[in-house]
Amino acid sequence: MTDLVVKTVEELKDAPEEYREAVSKLVISHAINELYGAQVFDEPAIAYAPTPYAKWLTCRVAMEEYGHHVRFKGLGTEIGIPEARMMPGEGKKPLSIFEFPLKTWEEFVAIKLLADLAEILQVEDLLHCTFHPLRNLARATMPEERFHAQFGEDFSAELVKTPEGKARLQAAVNEYWPYLPKFFGGSKSRNNEIFRKWKIKQRTNDEMREDFVKRATEVAAKYGLTLPEVRQAA
Amino acid sequence: MILLGPLRAAVRTASWFAALGEPLTDGDLADARIYVDVQGVDRVTSWAEADAFLKSPTASLDWWNHEEAQRKELLAEAGKRHPERALWTALSELTSETGDFVHGKAATAAARAGNVVPASVHVAAGAAAQAVYQLAVARLAAREASPFESKFRLFAAGRWPLGVAGSRLVLF
Repeated sequence: MTDLVVKTVEELKDAPEEYREAVSKLVISHAINELYGAQVFDEPAIAYAPTPYAKWLTCRVAMEEYGHHVRFKGLGTEIGIPEARMMPGEGKKPLSIFEFPLKTWEEFVAIKLLADLAEILQVEDLLHCTFHPLRNLARATMPEERFHAQFGEDFSAELVKTPEGKARLQAAVNEYWPYLPKFFGGSKSRNNEIFRKWKIKQRTNDEMREDFVKRATEVAAKYGLTLPEVRQAA
Repeated sequence: MILLGPLRAAVRTASWFAALGEPLTDGDLADARIYVDVQGVDRVTSWAEADAFLKSPTASLDWWNHEEAQRKELLAEAGKRHPERALWTALSELTSETGDFVHGKAATAAARAGNVVPASVHVAAGAAAQAVYQLAVARLAAREASPFESKFRLFAAGRWPLGVAGSRLVLF
């Protein structure tokens, strides 16, 4: 393992090309997926929120998610990534979950409960990143991601108070859960190997996926929910 | 940000959440009547009371939907007046900047009040940032007499208009 530490955007220019490429891939991925998440889930959810309290809370969550995109895009611009590569439509495809538009409030709550937990794990894996601007951005994002997951828990607690609400929420979990373990990529990912070589990320995709499934199962059980069986990606 | 410079400055100098729960002044009542044509104004005096109102069936979604319809109409008008990229860049940058700023102000107000649920700070910040966004759209549409002007004035005076219940505006 190589112990290269890159403390500034300036220092990145002198880092090996493989390191620079790896950092760029991660920044692009986060910039695109934060924007997709905000556009496909958070902003449309405002209309489905059942009370002014829930609407304004969702407004704030949506703004924070857009803010995450702005931050990652800002870092990407600093390190020389063309803006078009960090926006939908160019190059990198978004995660498959974004192909299914939001239809109900319960779907949004399920996404916040579980998909934002997946996001927390991704951000956690950047907290010791050897590229310090990315590490610092992860640290700034983490409190908001934790709040978004808590949003999912708080509204799950509300929904499961009635049998009908619990059934609708479970149906939403059943629909979206199969897409979530795939967030963590393939078991034999060359990208992940490079990320870990340079200590940009810490864990293998399988380690993260296993941790995610364990934590998601625990959080779902708190609200009497179950996760459907999913055949894992190779 | 050239398009929304004066609003950006007004956001920075507003007294966000500084007068929550305080007795209403003649100025508050005047702005309230311009904002919403209602029979009266009810005052909420605590964060807990505000939360309870916002979660209750009494808080009208009709008013929310009415403002959403106005916003969409104004956005369509603004879209005719400004190039698409400039419009969305100006709105996105203002919203991003405002969100964090008003969140800090809401957190400060909540800390002073004490015993405020953390989510309530997010709700307040969401409400304030939405008000700024609504006013931004109105100004970009060159709509001078928009009710979003008086809504912003209420926030700038340290208040939080929570919504409409029946024929009354509820103000924190």
